[in-house]
Parts: sequence; structure tokens; C-alpha cells
Amino acid sequence: MKKLIFLLALGVGGLAMAQTNGLAALATKGPAAAKPKPPTEINSDSADFDLNTHQAIYRGHVQVVDPKVRLTCELMLVDLPQGGEHLNHVVAATNVVVDFTNERGEKYHVTAAQAVYDFKVVNAVTNETVTFTGKPVVDTTTTTIYSEPMVWDRARNHFIFTEPTMISKETGTNGPASKLF
Amino acid sequence: MRLNPATFYLALVAAFCICAAMNNPAQQLPVGHATDFTSSQYFEPPHEQQVKMRLSGAEALPLPGGLLDVRQLRVETFGLDGKTQVVVRAPQCSYAPLDGVANSAGHMDLQSGDGKIHVEGDGFLWRQTTSALTISNHVRTLINMPEATMTGS
Repeated sequence: MKKLIFLLALGVGGLAMAQTNGLAALATKGPAAAKPKPPTEINSDSADFDLNTHQAIYRGHVQVVDPKVRLTCELMLVDLPQGGEHLNHVVAATNVVVDFTNERGEKYHVTAAQAVYDFKVVNAVTNETVTFTGKPVVDTTTTTIYSEPMVWDRARNHFIFTEPTMISKETGTNGPASKLF
Repeated sequence: MRLNPATFYLALVAAFCICAAMNNPAQQLPVGHATDFTSSQYFEPPHEQQVKMRLSGAEALPLPGGLLDVRQLRVETFGLDGKTQVVVRAPQCSYAPLDGVANSAGHMDLQSGDGKIHVEGDGFLWRQTTSALTISNHVRTLINMPEATMTGS
């Protein structure tokens, strides 16, 4: 299995940064990161809250609205943070769509059947990832990338594609992403 | 036959107390009168002295079937450290003391103890025994968090 790691400098990193403010932006870092940001809003048709396990399940027309990103899906499970702790687990499922614009004004459109955000600190090392599965596709104005799964390692600022296929809209060529990059 | 208001309220409070006592032995009986009542649920041993959940209302009127029409519902849950975890509020709801279930088609809101999470919606079902809350329509959640920072290595 061929795995490719595209660093932030390749430009795809914009996706990572923007998604930080989407699924991952439900999260907060430690008290050292005190910079305020507008609230992240989650809208849905209905929701179930388990106040013992501090878990919320949003159902129907789920929409996450953030200053930099918009996420929609049909079902989303959120482990609600307690006492200012970091949000550590979010699962978005069924028709997951993420739209955002990066700092350079480039628009991204990501679709997948499921997206899972995980955050944990092990031995003072932060692990923060978003894993897209279920035929994930990243669509930009110039390229379309297919990868199953597609992992965004937010803590390290890179994407991990597995056997990706990339279509360049400018040249109209299809082929493995490795050749194009 | 005219019913003395004081007698009515005493009867109402007595009925509420009996229902609450039958529902959960761990619960504290409502105190005060029917226009300002509180019902508390405690943690299991060895933390049986600490309040786990407190349900209160500004007014409770009897409904058919042993239900109570509660105005200004307020449900608070607490951690073992005594800190407020969640506050649920609703202007009006029906409360079944025997089942420990409250529901309403009206508006409600929820706020985390630290004030960073706010939820509101229309129509809800609160199950006291499992601390489960279902919001039926127009759910809106606001999460206030500081900006994330990169800390990976």
C-alpha cells in the first residue's frame, strides 16, 4: 500500500488549517491558547444528550457553522468537553460535506461518508487527526483527489493519502497523485 | 363546597411528595410549597451525601394521570466535585413524578456549568433516571472555545 504524505507547504495544507475550524474547531486547546474566537454553531433537526456520559448525538440536517468552514451531515456524535477540557472525539456520518476557503482564497469541497475527529495527548505529544472514510473526495478549483482513507494529521500539518488518485481539471489528465506532485 | 386555597396547596404538596418518594428513595422530598419546589437526587454510595441532580420549578399544578404542570422548570446536574455540570431550563413542562419524566412541546435551553456550551430547541423529553435529554426540533448549539494551537511534535 502506497502512502503519500503531502506537507502543508504543498498547498493542500490549507485544507488542514481550514478544517481545523470545522470538525476540529469544536475543540479547544489548553489554557495557554486563550485567543477568543466566534462560537462554533451546530444546528440539527433533533438531538439526544446523555448527561451521564456527556455525549450528544445530533440527527437530521446537521450543520456546523464556523467562521471559516461549513460542515453538513445527517448524524453527528460529539463527546462534550467538561470543565474546559479539550474536545476529543467527534464523528460525523452520512453525506458528510465540508466547504471552506483557505487563507489564499482557494475554495475546497470535501465529501465522505464519515469523518472522525480525535484528539489526545500522549507523553506530552499531541495527536490530533481527522479521518475521512467512505469514498472521500477533495475537490478544489483545479484538482480532485480521491483517497481511501484520507487522514488529516492536524498536529503535524499534513495530509496522509492512501493510494490516491488525482484529477487535474486544468489538464484533464487522470493518474496517481504521486506523479502529479 | 368551596376549597380553601391553603388546603388545596397542602394537598398538592402532599401528593407531590408521595409521588416523588415512590419514584426514587434516594430523592429528597420537595421542600417549600407547590409554588417553589425542589427535588434532589443523590449519588450512589459512597457519595450518597452529594447531590447529583436537582429539579426545581416555580409552580406545579396537578394534571390528570398523576402528572404535574411545572412552570419555570430548572434541572441542574452536578459532578462529584460539587460543580454544576449542566443547567436545563424550560418555561413550562409536564412532569411525571412516578416515571421521572418531564416533557414539553415548548422551548427549552441548556447551558454547561462553565458557560461554554449553550443548547436550545423546541420540544424536549427529559428522563430523570438516566439523565437523558432529547430535543425534538430546531436544535441549536453554540460552543465557545479558545482558538486551537498546534502542539504536536
